[in-house]
Amino acid sequence: MTAVVETEGLTKFYGTRKGLEDLTLDIQPGEVFGYLGPNGAGKTTTIRLLLDVIRPTSGRATVLGADTRDSSVRARIGYLPGELALEGRERARDYLTFMADVRGGVSRARIDELAERLDADLSIRMGELSKGNKQKVGLIQAFMHEPELLILDEPTSGLDPLVQQEFLAMLREVRTSGRTVLMSSHVLAEVEHVADRVGIVRAGRLVAVEDVAALRERAVRHVEFHFDAPVPKEAFEGLPGVRDLVVDGASLRCTIDGRPDALIKAAAKFTVVHMVSAEPDLEEIFLTYYSEEDAHHAHAGA
Amino acid sequence: MPTLVRKTLREYRRAVIGWSAGISAFLLLYLSIYPSIRANPEFSQQAALSKYPGALRDLMGGLADIASGEGYLQAVAYQLLVPLLLIMSAAILGNRAIAGPEENGTLELTLTLPIDRKRLVLERWQALFLGLLVIAVVTLAVILAMAAKSDMRVPAGHIVAAHTGLFLVALFFGTVALTVGAATGGKGLALAVAGGYAVAGYVIETLGKSVDAIAWLRWLSPFHYYLDGRPVFLGWPVGDYLVLLGATAVLLLTAVLAFERRDVGV
Repeated sequence: MTAVVETEGLTKFYGTRKGLEDLTLDIQPGEVFGYLGPNGAGKTTTIRLLLDVIRPTSGRATVLGADTRDSSVRARIGYLPGELALEGRERARDYLTFMADVRGGVSRARIDELAERLDADLSIRMGELSKGNKQKVGLIQAFMHEPELLILDEPTSGLDPLVQQEFLAMLREVRTSGRTVLMSSHVLAEVEHVADRVGIVRAGRLVAVEDVAALRERAVRHVEFHFDAPVPKEAFEGLPGVRDLVVDGASLRCTIDGRPDALIKAAAKFTVVHMVSAEPDLEEIFLTYYSEEDAHHAHAGA
Repeated sequence: MPTLVRKTLREYRRAVIGWSAGISAFLLLYLSIYPSIRANPEFSQQAALSKYPGALRDLMGGLADIASGEGYLQAVAYQLLVPLLLIMSAAILGNRAIAGPEENGTLELTLTLPIDRKRLVLERWQALFLGLLVIAVVTLAVILAMAAKSDMRVPAGHIVAAHTGLFLVALFFGTVALTVGAATGGKGLALAVAGGYAVAGYVIETLGKSVDAIAWLRWLSPFHYYLDGRPVFLGWPVGDYLVLLGATAVLLLTAVLAFERRDVGV
């Protein structure tokens, strides 16, 4: 299977300022790839290189099997810029029709369907769209031609929670139909529910690529059990992965690294009346990458 | 018509209508007073010459024969103000081809469409060409109608020839703005270069006739290839117009090559 996005030593300098250095990355067909990093880390630089808006200083990149210079391949890509600019007196619908025509045509019904899902008013002039509405028009143009590859730069910024839900549903449909997504964000929470893998970029370098499932397995989870009678603390001490154990009469609180299996089996010996398990906080793991990097840099500096 | 040309023309529509109406109104106003000029030829000639002494008169194209149909048409329609207005509109439209959208950020999404850079420049230029053509045709119609109405006795062929030159000069400067924008992405810079070149070119061509020190520079001025052949009086200066067309083509080629090589929106 050929990779949908393939880069090798991709590097971009703006004069002497580093934008991206030595990025080697494959994104496979059907994969949702979360591209994470703080603002200015090189996410947008990478995306612009893939779309040939800017040219690499060195290295190479192919998208859907073609060199990024090949403009015809872009009909099969949907792109949402991070800083979406829509200006002028043109009405949103006319603009979308233009985009659709250049990419080879999209039915009016398809545009209407997306507009309805996102609750976007397409009769407004582009220059008069609110930030949220601009983002909706941006999403419609990115999704409307059912592209094989979606490149979304900070897609949820400016969307209200309801629209965000709809957007995530659209993204899942894309994944179900086997198409590929590259989605950047500076918040892991935004991508962890849809992404298969995440790449973490920092100061122009890709510092880690992780499977989300693996990440989740290593994630820290806060768990609470309530039993019908007080339980002995000893029954839970020394279980693999269990930390911060507090037993208070009939209730138990702890955090788990990785699998909760041992804890569940230990708890099953008693009568459980209630159990609370918070979502694993991937953000914490994510941040440890940063702090490790920081430590590394500090070390190198010293 | 290619989709991008159609879209760009839609963006240009209001500007094209506005400039057509404005320049036409100017022409209507000035050409409608021609009968009174012709009625008092000596007085008008004297008034014109005393209003513009010395070098100013050169800037106004000499103002010879102001009471004749040709002289009046040259001074009012083809010498200074109308070319300047048309060039201004061309530079503004040319600027909206690449530099404008690049500065406001809308070019990024256009670039990620399946349109290669060369096609983007050429189709934007086509829209500039067509938009300017509309302004030129509308204003030509006004001049032809007024010339007939005021009985200016200028052959229609000469008017068409002069107007073609006017169009070519404006197209040239519009292409200058487009090219500087395509090469640098700077809207202000593109306007400054087009405007500065137009003013300098005009001054060099008109004053260069009597100032030997700058006379040799005249061949660098686009206006030389428009004014020197005196199309209102003599008809088509075909060779000169071909120079203008050739220069425009070279600029356009430069725009394509420069735009294909650079980063956009950085």
